[in-house]
Amino acid sequence: MKKGKMKSGTYLGFMFTLPAVIYMLIFIGYPMIENLILSLKNVDVYTFAQPANQQFIGIANYVELFMDTNSIMTKSIINTLIFTVGSIFFQFFIGFGLALLFSKKFRGCSFFRGVTMISWLLPVTVAGLLFKFMFASSGGIINQFLMALHILDTPLDWLLEPRSAMTAIIVANIWIGIPFNMMLLITGLTTIPSEVYESANLDGAGKLQTLFSITIPMIKPAIMSVLTLGFVYTFKVFDLVWVMTKGGPVNATELVSTYAYRLSFEEFLFSKGAAAANVLFLILLVVGCFYIKLINDEEEAM
Amino acid sequence: MNRKRLIAAGLTAVLSMTVFAGCGGGNNSSTAGGDSAPAADSTPADSQTAEADGQTGSTEGGKEVVIWDYFETDAQKEMMQKLIDGFNASQSEYTASHVYVPFSDYEKQLTLGVASGELPDLVIMDGCGMASFISMGLFGDISDADVKWDEYIAGPMESTMMDGKHYGIPFATNCTALFYNKDLFDAAGLAYPDENTTWDDFKEMAKALTNDGVYGFGNAATNTDEGTFQCLQWLYTAGGSYTDIKNGADAYQLMQDMINEGSWTKEVVNWTQSDVNNNFMAGNLAMQQNGPWQIPGIEANAPDLNYGVTVLPKRDADAGQATSILGGENMGAVKKDDMSGAVAFIQYYDQTEVMVEAMKMYGSFPPKTEAAKDAYWTEDPIQSAFITQLETSIPRGPSASWPSYSAAIQKGFQEVMTSAKTPEQAAEDTQAAVDAVK
Repeated sequence: MKKGKMKSGTYLGFMFTLPAVIYMLIFIGYPMIENLILSLKNVDVYTFAQPANQQFIGIANYVELFMDTNSIMTKSIINTLIFTVGSIFFQFFIGFGLALLFSKKFRGCSFFRGVTMISWLLPVTVAGLLFKFMFASSGGIINQFLMALHILDTPLDWLLEPRSAMTAIIVANIWIGIPFNMMLLITGLTTIPSEVYESANLDGAGKLQTLFSITIPMIKPAIMSVLTLGFVYTFKVFDLVWVMTKGGPVNATELVSTYAYRLSFEEFLFSKGAAAANVLFLILLVVGCFYIKLINDEEEAM
Repeated sequence: MNRKRLIAAGLTAVLSMTVFAGCGGGNNSSTAGGDSAPAADSTPADSQTAEADGQTGSTEGGKEVVIWDYFETDAQKEMMQKLIDGFNASQSEYTASHVYVPFSDYEKQLTLGVASGELPDLVIMDGCGMASFISMGLFGDISDADVKWDEYIAGPMESTMMDGKHYGIPFATNCTALFYNKDLFDAAGLAYPDENTTWDDFKEMAKALTNDGVYGFGNAATNTDEGTFQCLQWLYTAGGSYTDIKNGADAYQLMQDMINEGSWTKEVVNWTQSDVNNNFMAGNLAMQQNGPWQIPGIEANAPDLNYGVTVLPKRDADAGQATSILGGENMGAVKKDDMSGAVAFIQYYDQTEVMVEAMKMYGSFPPKTEAAKDAYWTEDPIQSAFITQLETSIPRGPSASWPSYSAAIQKGFQEVMTSAKTPEQAAEDTQAAVDAVK
């Protein structure tokens, strides 16, 4: 390869990335840097209108967030992790099952696949309200159902007990996220050539063997994508929780996102809110880097 | 392989969007919860008409005066329109109009407005939030305006002031009192609560009224300031204050006892004031704590409900009337080079007869001592109970840090109500949290 040719190719490559770079600098880089600067200052309700009194206080906001006795920040990170892992685990397995089902051709297949998408199309705030009604202590359909089946004797205060409130928001989020998992996995399944299945069939492979030795290894990239993307999506869920519990009872369902919002727009502790948002960003950045590395490794392997 | 690459590229794009959306944290997310303000409550029937109606009012001639409000019920919107029409007809120099901003987004929009400069001339907002926004520089000094300052009730007036300067006037005032369902009391053979009812009486009543599907009492204890607005009075009546939790710890004990008995429903920790009122109208609650703005909703949706209103129960037989917390709105003049339009509108509203007419439609009380003595209120047995309760009502704060106090205090109530902590422990921890607020 000649040196000159490579140079012009690199130049052209830069030109192609330019629009994306400019877009990201303006709409992503600028707010990110502003947010970082804000989190290092002491902007609150008293200094908001007086730029002269806004001073850099280093990482004091971050220290305060984590060092407070009964730190809500630490609690919200743990809550967010429980929420995320709990959601993804069920979303993925149910979504995978449905993907396998809908990748088979049967009558009404596309109709039912479409119906499954409803929970993804419904605005999250609407879904949140629906689940809030369904989990209501008295008159909620879930309590009625469980009592009719004699699983419960007395109504359970779903949204009022710390543990069951967390369960309730996880259940709601699982319902919302299943179609996302299903669609990405179906897309993955369509990339498997039918010849592979045919030859496996000829070699006498059983259904389970086909699943574990052919299907899963062949769509491993799609599975990894679904899991990492699902993690990112779930980790920053805000509206669902805000509608259902507002982070309560007693911060039992406080996520990093709701806490950051609460600090900034309810308590007007703008710098602290920015710091909490940055913690969220940092965690997702790590996951994002992991994902990009995953994609790159996969491409190299091809 | 090409296809795989394509999928990967697509996913990367999605991811980068998501990751960076994450950097804003929750800040970018909009909320569409159905919660209402202490005084901007809406009943189910009203919420159907709660669409954003944008700017209304005539546009011909005169300098514009734009007012922001979060009024959702038909009665409130009608009141606002009538007020604006009256102002526009009374002079020719200015033309007023109003813009609806949903309550759940209200303070966020104001905060963003302070940063970006896109603001109206006048802001009608929850009284206890005003101190924060005065401190943030949203409002301008209008102490020179021709307003009869000394006619206003002291509590609401203080919430429009800082360091002796006036930044607006109180728009409406109200407080919560005790609603009771007469039919349920009759069925249980109990005497109605009145101004002599003590906490012990109240506890007994609630217990006697609780049975199959009916709870003795409920109030709004959601973990926002709407919850603080209703719960805080119990702390004051017990002898505490928003900075002195420990002396009000008896309130914690009462709440936990009643919730354990099931006579004060535990569901309140997720209830807004509309939720409480809906349950009261449906007959699920024998008694509720709520405000006068619920009355139009009860008349519209449950016209047959046989109910009465009295002051909140007092501490014990020797104690004075229970404290209630002042709610209601203030009208603040936004700091601008030319504030003459805002001042003109404030001076128009300052006329007692204008204020009284508006408040009759609105379902709250005029914030002037004399104006509230209008026969419309004093001769109505339900309305007059609120007037009596107003005499021992106090504002929240005022403090620019009120939102932080409110969050700390409401967390304490929720801990007690969900039995996450004993009353003693909760008092200890909440006191520490309140002391930590700057």
